[in-house]
Amino acid sequence: MPPLMAIEFLCRVADVLSDYLGGLNEDVIKDNFIIVYELLDEMIDNGFPLTTEPNILREMIAQPNIVSKVLSVVTGNSSNVSETRPGATASCVPWRTTDPKYANNEVYVDLVEEMDATINRDGVLVKCEIYGEVQVNSHLSGLPDLTLSFANTSILDDVRFHPCVRFRPWESNQILSFVPPDGQFKLMSYRVKKLKSTPIYVKPQLTSGGGTCRVDVLVGIRNDPGKTIDSITVQFQLPHCILSADMTSNHGTVNILANKTCLWSIGRIPKDKAPSMSGTLVLETGLERLHVFPTFQVAFRVMGVALSGLQIDKLDLKNLPNRPYKGFRALTRAGEFEVRS
Amino acid sequence: MAGIRLHVIAPLVLMAVGKCARDASVYVRKCAANALPKLYDLRLEEHNSAIEEIVGILLNDHSPGVLGAAAAAFASICPNNFSLIGQNYQRLCEILLDVEEWGQIILIGILLRFVIAKHGLVRESIMFSLCCTESSNSEKDGSTTEISIKEDPGFLCGGNNFGLDVDVSGDNDLLASMVSRCYIERPDEYLSRSSYTNRGPELNVAQFTSGKSNNDVKILLQCTSPLLWSNNSAVVLAAGGVHWIMAPREDLKRIVKPLLFVLRSSSASKYVVLCNIQVFAKAMPSLFAPHFEDFFICSSDSYQIKALKLEILSSIATDSSISFIFKEFQDYVRDPDRRFAADTVAAIGLCAQRLPKTANTCLQGLLALTRLEFLSSDIGSVEGEAGVLIQAIMSIRSIIKQDPPSHEKVIIQLIRSLDSIKVPAARAMIIWIAGEYCSLGDTIPRMLTTVLSYLAWHFTTEALETKLQILNSMVKVLLCAEGEDLWSFKRVLNYVLELAECDLNYDVRDRARFLKKILSSNLNPQGLEEEANVSPQHKELSHVLAEHIFGGQTKPVSPEPMNCRFYLPGSLSQIVLHAAPGYEPLPKPCSLLHDDIDLSNACQGTNALESAKNSDFYDTDDHGSLSGSLDEESTSDYSRQDSITKSSVSSGGDGTGSANDDDDSVDLLIQISDVGNACENQNGFSHSGSADLRELISKRGLESWLNDQPGLSSASTSEPSEVSISTARISMGDIGRRVKTKSYTLLDPANGNGLKVDYTFSSEVSTISHHLVCVEVFIKNCSSEAMSDIFLQDDESSKGSYSADQTIVATDR
Repeated sequence: MPPLMAIEFLCRVADVLSDYLGGLNEDVIKDNFIIVYELLDEMIDNGFPLTTEPNILREMIAQPNIVSKVLSVVTGNSSNVSETRPGATASCVPWRTTDPKYANNEVYVDLVEEMDATINRDGVLVKCEIYGEVQVNSHLSGLPDLTLSFANTSILDDVRFHPCVRFRPWESNQILSFVPPDGQFKLMSYRVKKLKSTPIYVKPQLTSGGGTCRVDVLVGIRNDPGKTIDSITVQFQLPHCILSADMTSNHGTVNILANKTCLWSIGRIPKDKAPSMSGTLVLETGLERLHVFPTFQVAFRVMGVALSGLQIDKLDLKNLPNRPYKGFRALTRAGEFEVRS
Repeated sequence: MAGIRLHVIAPLVLMAVGKCARDASVYVRKCAANALPKLYDLRLEEHNSAIEEIVGILLNDHSPGVLGAAAAAFASICPNNFSLIGQNYQRLCEILLDVEEWGQIILIGILLRFVIAKHGLVRESIMFSLCCTESSNSEKDGSTTEISIKEDPGFLCGGNNFGLDVDVSGDNDLLASMVSRCYIERPDEYLSRSSYTNRGPELNVAQFTSGKSNNDVKILLQCTSPLLWSNNSAVVLAAGGVHWIMAPREDLKRIVKPLLFVLRSSSASKYVVLCNIQVFAKAMPSLFAPHFEDFFICSSDSYQIKALKLEILSSIATDSSISFIFKEFQDYVRDPDRRFAADTVAAIGLCAQRLPKTANTCLQGLLALTRLEFLSSDIGSVEGEAGVLIQAIMSIRSIIKQDPPSHEKVIIQLIRSLDSIKVPAARAMIIWIAGEYCSLGDTIPRMLTTVLSYLAWHFTTEALETKLQILNSMVKVLLCAEGEDLWSFKRVLNYVLELAECDLNYDVRDRARFLKKILSSNLNPQGLEEEANVSPQHKELSHVLAEHIFGGQTKPVSPEPMNCRFYLPGSLSQIVLHAAPGYEPLPKPCSLLHDDIDLSNACQGTNALESAKNSDFYDTDDHGSLSGSLDEESTSDYSRQDSITKSSVSSGGDGTGSANDDDDSVDLLIQISDVGNACENQNGFSHSGSADLRELISKRGLESWLNDQPGLSSASTSEPSEVSISTARISMGDIGRRVKTKSYTLLDPANGNGLKVDYTFSSEVSTISHHLVCVEVFIKNCSSEAMSDIFLQDDESSKGSYSADQTIVATDR
């Protein structure tokens, strides 16, 4: 069996488990041992993945909730495997629950983007690309057929699809046509390469000598994306050879965590001043100067805008009894955004 | 129910599964398909045909859900039974897109195997370069192999000394051909190839097909290309692998972006994908060259991923991208992870070797680095810094090696910096450089006197490594020196040798005495006349000796361990770099039987069929030959007698496969049932080449064995002479192939005893075979009863170009 298959499967198991249990750690697994066991039983058989679609699993194994817990205590019947055979396995859309019913039909499409950027020592943008996902949350009755088109597909460098997407329409006219699974799922992920600029700049400056190292970091807005940039944090790993660090900032808070990580949470950038952090690191005795400098990881979030510029043109729905509610959102956050010093 | 692993109920389960396989419900059929491998695991032979039949039925199914499971069953039950696929090939391809993702992975692999088995490799694909280079390079290749063996013992990896250390700048086509060859070969065949320079399976042009004209290939490529957009990275990689092997070169671009996109998933899969990209990039750097930015390192990557990315970067660097890459490298050198920084320095060296134009820039950078680093290494003496420094000097040295005359200035600079560099390994390396290029240019010889006296002055304070290197370099200098320098050199060397003889370390003392003996003539300060008396031969000898010693000194730990073997993309073996249990290479091209294929192919076909029949044999056997320990205990439940006949059948088949034009072997094929006869026949055949005493012994030994047939219990007593010799020596070419049949531990299930065969490659040089390979085979009978009909048999090459001799002696205890 190819190793990637195993890795991919384990990731899928983790996804499903955290979906069911609302988190994944040792305690949660201990508490919900039966569910975990049942899930694994369904998902893998004789070393080969069996049923991994969350929709179908949910049909076969009920999600834990208070009612079922009470019920199992009272009746002593701890199994929550449904008796019926999953219907969807037989249908031609194996990822969808057979016939869900909703009072009000809704579908939400989110563009979630992550910006990866690397800025080298000279302050030059070496690499800047966006990794984005189209996340759809659908609560639609029956067997709807959706068509999603983008205004500017030409900027997309590469794409990956959920199995429900039909390949032919995409190949011919770049339209996503699909029958969605029920609930939240990742319809497509895409990549936009070679972007020219980042929304914020981070300028670290380190000077070392005489047994200490002076650190100055400046943060500011470079290109205003039109929406506010919030939850900005700058984080860096302090070198091993320092004895103490004393950092202060004129905006936000600076924390030095246990694993020698310095975390500066800025939040939003105020209008009147540019936030800056400064301080000195005292090196170990005997060390004259620091010769390796840390890398700064930057995190931020921009609501309501997709920085890649990708725009959803329209979403058509067919096979639906009444008009559904359609919602669109966009969000950009920093992925691996690093600034070398 | 199939999960209950009881032999008793297996027939019942089989019946139930058979019924379910024809059930109306998709889900039931799918479950039936899932149950099949479990049934098969019980290893009840009589059911195998029934199980395969059910697999066939399920593969005929129309529902994609069932097909996924059926493909999995097929892969684990009868991966070589291509006729089942052949009936449904087209439909399977078309439905591939709708199969669930796990099934897709398996199904892609099966279809790929099928196409290769049926049509062979594709002419336009990268694999075809194998064929082009094959003929032209075979000669050249043989010679490079020899050379690389001689000069590079570091690369021998478990005896597989195929000259794969192709210089990184070198012949990519050759590498690609290596890759493709490796895909097809079984591990044991690979072993066999290492023993003699002759190529293993000869692939002729007839085994290639044109991707454009062939419908099957076209369909497969067409159907797998949308899968490159799959959300599941394993599917992407599997589809990418198909394209890599089958697609025309110009279409290969298609797989690049999806593969790079997959890098954005979890770090574990990132590593796997990078491992595969590494192989692709090495075989065809142009593919990934425009995407070098994707391999830039991110501080959150783990060290392994960083190292892989560096390696890829250094292999795809081109003249246009190198400046960007160097800019990045400059940043990496300052990375807090010093191990990684050292790797970066090594990568710079590699880039400079690949692109000679950049060598000067690299050297300047590296020199600056050494100056920078020793500032810190003076006081800091941090572990990592030393590593970086050593690596930097190593890189400099390897760059200099390529073109010494043009880098004279660099050498001088290095020698000048000797005073400030404190790390012993780095010092030793600089001294080596000084010694090696002592006669280069004008300036260096003039400097040498000063340098040597400086070294002599510091000799006592040096570290062990450096001391040894000083001794060596001085001798080298001495050997090259002429005129009046000679006198001063001699004085210095004498002084140093005397110091060294009183050294605390015995290595240094030994080295000093040894050098003194060798150079006694040269060293004698008395005068020239005596030196003239020394026969030139002797002088030559000392020269040669000296050179020999220095050749092996301070070999760099290869910064880029070359994997000597490539495995199918996406397989586990590719990651761990040895054949993992269950690894199956691609089938032999065109091994499916066709009427229009020529004789040799037909023979290969029979081989394949044979192997299909005995597939369980190979299954258990593979483990053994992979891990190298061949005395594995097979758990199969065959009776001893049964397996012996089987093995003889398969070996008979092999015999025909290789010696296809010989009447003898045809006879063999016919007389398979008559084991004793066949064996003798074969023996006579293989021994006809040479008349030798040893051979006589072997014949006698063999015959006495064979005559002994049912006299079993007396066997042990009747052959004391054999016991006394107790080693079997076989010189053979195609070891791997034979190993297969020889390495059985045939278990008698009742008492757990059996025949145990062990083999080792002995270090002796065989006098009989001109391949000079000597194998010792030990056969041991662990059972209480004696065994008969044991024979070793040699695979003659079709041309009979070498003779294989066997001396068989067995101990029976």
